[in-house]
Amino acid sequence: MPGMNSGLDVDDPTIVSAFKLALLHQGIAAVLLFALLALAWVAVREFRPRSASAGQRAQAALPEAPARQVLRIGFGLLWILDGILQAQPGMAVGLPSQVIEPTAQSSPTWVQHLVNWAGTTWSYHPIQAATAAVWIQLGIGVWLLLARKGRLSQLAAIAAVGWGLVVWVFGESFGGIFAPGLSWLTGAPGAALCYSAAAALLLLPDRYWRTRQTGRVMLGCLGGFLVAMAVLQAWPGRGFWQGSLHGQPGTLTAMVQSMSAQSQPSGLADIVSWFASVVRAHGFAVNLIAVVALAGVGLVFLAGRPKLARVALIVLAVFGLADWVLVQDLGFLGGLGTDPNSMIPMLLLATAGYLALTPQPAAAPAVAPGPAPAAPAPATPQPGLWSRRLRPASLIATLASARLATVMSVGAAGVVLLGAVPMAAAQASAAAAPILAQALDGSSAPLNAPAPGFTLTDQAGRRVSLASLRGKAVLLTFLDPVCVTDCPLIAQEFREAGVLLGGHRNRVELVAVNLNPLYSQVSYLQAFDREEGLAGIPDWRYLTGSPAQLQPVWKNYGIASETLPAGAMLGHSDAAFVIGPDGRMIEELDFTPGPGTAATVSSFATELANAADQALGQS
Amino acid sequence: MSRFRSAGLLAGLLALGTAVSCAGCGSSGGPATASPAATPPAAAAAEPAYSEATSKATWAVLPMGASSGPNEFWQLFLLTTGRPQWALDTPPDIATNGALELAGLSGASIVTGVRPSLYLAFSPVSLSADGGQEWAAGPPAQRLADVPDALAATPGGGHLLALDEAGEASSTTSAGTAWTPLVTEHALASTAAGRACGLTQLTAVAYSPAGVQLLAGDCGEPGVAGIFTASAGGWHAAGPMLPPALASSRIRVLRLVTTSGQTTALLLAVSGSHADVVSAWLGADGAWTISAPLSIGAASVRTTAFGASGAVAAVLSSGHGEILTGPGGSWQQTPLVPAGRAVTIALPADGQVDALAATGGVLTVWQLGDAAAQWTKAQTVKVPIQYGSSS
Repeated sequence: MPGMNSGLDVDDPTIVSAFKLALLHQGIAAVLLFALLALAWVAVREFRPRSASAGQRAQAALPEAPARQVLRIGFGLLWILDGILQAQPGMAVGLPSQVIEPTAQSSPTWVQHLVNWAGTTWSYHPIQAATAAVWIQLGIGVWLLLARKGRLSQLAAIAAVGWGLVVWVFGESFGGIFAPGLSWLTGAPGAALCYSAAAALLLLPDRYWRTRQTGRVMLGCLGGFLVAMAVLQAWPGRGFWQGSLHGQPGTLTAMVQSMSAQSQPSGLADIVSWFASVVRAHGFAVNLIAVVALAGVGLVFLAGRPKLARVALIVLAVFGLADWVLVQDLGFLGGLGTDPNSMIPMLLLATAGYLALTPQPAAAPAVAPGPAPAAPAPATPQPGLWSRRLRPASLIATLASARLATVMSVGAAGVVLLGAVPMAAAQASAAAAPILAQALDGSSAPLNAPAPGFTLTDQAGRRVSLASLRGKAVLLTFLDPVCVTDCPLIAQEFREAGVLLGGHRNRVELVAVNLNPLYSQVSYLQAFDREEGLAGIPDWRYLTGSPAQLQPVWKNYGIASETLPAGAMLGHSDAAFVIGPDGRMIEELDFTPGPGTAATVSSFATELANAADQALGQS
Repeated sequence: MSRFRSAGLLAGLLALGTAVSCAGCGSSGGPATASPAATPPAAAAAEPAYSEATSKATWAVLPMGASSGPNEFWQLFLLTTGRPQWALDTPPDIATNGALELAGLSGASIVTGVRPSLYLAFSPVSLSADGGQEWAAGPPAQRLADVPDALAATPGGGHLLALDEAGEASSTTSAGTAWTPLVTEHALASTAAGRACGLTQLTAVAYSPAGVQLLAGDCGEPGVAGIFTASAGGWHAAGPMLPPALASSRIRVLRLVTTSGQTTALLLAVSGSHADVVSAWLGADGAWTISAPLSIGAASVRTTAFGASGAVAAVLSSGHGEILTGPGGSWQQTPLVPAGRAVTIALPADGQVDALAATGGVLTVWQLGDAAAQWTKAQTVKVPIQYGSSS
C-alpha cells in the first residue's frame, strides 16, 4: 500500500483552506509573541534602566567576522525564503507525493523506505506538517539574522544544523548521493547539506574566524569536493560526455530535459529547454567545460592562495549562476519549489571561505575594560547555576540589559517552537487527521431518525438483529466480499477505527452488511474477514442473508447496487452510518475511500472513531 | 605546510576517493543469472486464453479491454451447440481482472474460478448448470495458481480440486465451505514418483472421467511426464510413457483437461532450443494414447483449445494454428490465425473450427472454410467493458 500519496489534488480546496487558516492563526500567534516580547522589553527598561556588564559591552562591541556574517545573514535569508516557499498552497498535499517521493525514486531501497516513512508521516498530518515547515524555517531564518553572537546565535545554528539535516535526509533523500547520476550540476550533495554545513560553521568560536586557517580548511574541503565532482563528471560510462547516445538523450541532456519539463514560468522553461538542445548537440563540449571548471576551481581552492582563490571564486560564481539558471531552473518556481537549490548556498560557502582566508584584523573594542577578544565573556550577566539565572529578578535584569534584536531572536526561537510543537503533538497520535477524509468525501450528513431494523446472519452463522445491539453505538457499512477496490479499504478503516476507540471499544459495534446477492454465503464473509484481518475481532459483525432478506436492508438505508456486465464487479455506493445507543441514526458519512493509502485509511478511521465517540457522548 | 592546510588537502583527497568509489554507482552490473534448475522449459503458454467444448456447448476465455492493469477483464464466451452465434457469458458480480479458470465441463454445466486481483486476496468460485443463465457461488478457494488448469471439477461440479499460488492442491465439494489440503508441490516432489520426475512445479489439476484426482507439473528429469494420482494412501506416477524420441526432452504439462468424458493432456517437450508438442489421451482403462510429436522449433504455444471428442488445437507464436482431431489423428496446420491481442481457436462439437480474436472491447469470430484454406469473418461481439470499474 503506497504511503506517500494521499490521493488528493495538490490544490484540494479543503486542505488549502485549512492550511491557510492554520497559517493565519499561527501567524497571529507569532506576531503576538513578538509584540509581547517587545512590550516586555520596553516596560522592563522603563522600570529598570539598562545596566550591561563590561563583558557584554565588550562582546557587543566586538565586530563579527565578515565570513561568519556572510554565512549568518546569507543562510538566514535563505531559510526565510524557504519558509515562504513552504507556505505555497500546494505544499500540504503536494510535498510528499510530488517533491519527496520523486526525489527518492532513483535511490536505493533503504533510502526509499526511510523517505517513505517521512512522507507517510507528513501525509498523516498534512496541515500540521506543512505549517511546521513554514514556521520552523522562518523562525530559524529570523533567529539567525537577529542573533549575531553569543549563546542565542549558537542555539540558532544548532537548530539550523538539525533541521537542515532533517530536510537533507527526508526531503532530499540525502541529496541523491546514493542515487545514480550524481552530479554537482544538478545539485549534489543537496542544498540542505550546505545549510547544515554553514550552520555548523557558525558554531565555531569567534577566535577561529580571526585566522586564515579556518578559510584554508573551508576552501580545502570545498576544493576537494569540487575536484571529486569533476572526477564524477568526467568518469567514463556515466553518460555525461554524450549529448545523445543511440538516439536517446545522454545523462546530462536527460537531466536538463527533465528540469525543463518541471512546472515553472514559460520563459524559464524555454531557456532550460534551449540549453537541453545545446547539451544534446554539444554534449562533449558542455561536459568538458564543466569538468575543467570544477577541477580548476577545486584545485585552486585546495591550494589555498588568496589571490588565486578570488579568481576561482569569480569563476565559480559565473559558472554556478549559469548552472543555476540553465540546469537547475532556479529551483524554487512552479508552485512546489522548496528552495533555490544548491548553487546559491554553495556560492555563499565559497564566499565565506574566501573571506575567512583573508580575515580582517579584529577591531579594538569600543569599551576598554573586559576580557580579551580571544576569550569573550559569556552573554549572560553572571556565570552560575541555571536556576539562579532563571530567577525572575535575574531574568528581568537580563531583559533590561538586552538589545532589542536579542529579545526578538528569542521570539524567533518561539516561532520555531510554534511550528514544531503542534507537529510533535500530532505525531504523538498514531491516527491520521480526519481532514483527509473530509477532503475526499466532504462533511457528514446529520440524521435524526430511527435506524431501520434488520435481522441477518453473521460470519459465524449466528442470527443478529440491530435491536439486539441497542445500548451500544453502531458503525454500520455495506460491503461486497468479492469487491476488488473500495470494500477492503473500508473494512480496513473500520478495523483501525476499532483500535482507535480504545477504552470505548466494548461500547461500539462495527457492523457490515453484505452487498453481493450472488456471493452471499457465510464462507465468503469468512474469506473476506481472513484477508482483511478481521477474523476473531469480537466487535466486528459481517452480516448476510438471502437476497430476499438483504434487499430490504439495502433499500431502507438507501444503498444502491447494480450488476454490471463484462467481468465488472458489483457497482455500489459507499456509505457509513452512525447509530446511537438509542437506535437512532445520527449521521451518514459518504465513505468512498479514495486511493486507500495508509494516510487516507487512517484518516477515515479517525473520522469513524470520532463519530462513535460523539454518538456515545450524546447518549 | 600548516596543519590546517594538511587537513584541507586530506579532506579533498577523501572526497576524491569517495567520488572515485561512487563513480560506479548506478552503472549496471553483470547480467542476472538463475540456476538451471529454476528455469522452466521455454515456450510456455503466453496468454491465458483458451477454449474448451462439450457436446452441448463450447466456452472460450480471452482477456479484453486494456492490455494489462485494472482495465483488463477476462471474458467468458459461450457457443451453444446448434446455435450460430457466440455470446458473452462472463459470470456476474465479480471482477475478472485476475483471469478466469474453467472446470467441470459437462453438457451445459460449468464451474469458473477467478484469480485474485487488486485488493481481492482469494478466488471466488461460481457454478452454472444451464450454460450461464443462472449462477451460484461455490466455496471460495485460496488464491488460484496462475495457470489455466488451477481449478477442476467432477462432471456436474460435485467435487472441486484447486491448485493455489503456493503450490498446494486442495479439494472440497461444491456445497462445502472449507477446502481440504491434499498435497503440496514440495511434498509431492519428495515422493518416489516426484523424485523420478524431478518435479519442479505443479501446473495443472484435473479429475478423470471416473472422478480420480490428477495433478500435473514440470519434470526436471528428461523424458518423464509429470502426471500423478493418489492411490493406496500415496501419490503415484500416472503419466504416459513417452516415445524414445523425447527421452532427452524436459516435459511440461501445459494443459490437463477433462471434457465430455475425455481427459486430455497437452505436453511440451523441450530439448535445448527445440520444442515439440504432444497430446495424450487417458483411456477408461487408465492407459494413455500418445499423438505424434509436433515440432514447433523455437516457437511457443500461445493459446490452446480442446474439443468434445478429444480434439486439440494450439495457436503458436508463429501465428499458425495446429489442430489434432483426436486420438489417431495427425496435426494439421491452419492458415495464419487472424490478428488480435489474444487469439484462440475453438473446436465446437459440430466439427466447425473457429478462431476468436479479442482486441479491446471487440471479439471477432472467424471460421475456417471447408478447404481449411482461409479464415472467414463470421461474427463480431461488442463487449461493454466497464473501464474504470476496478480502479
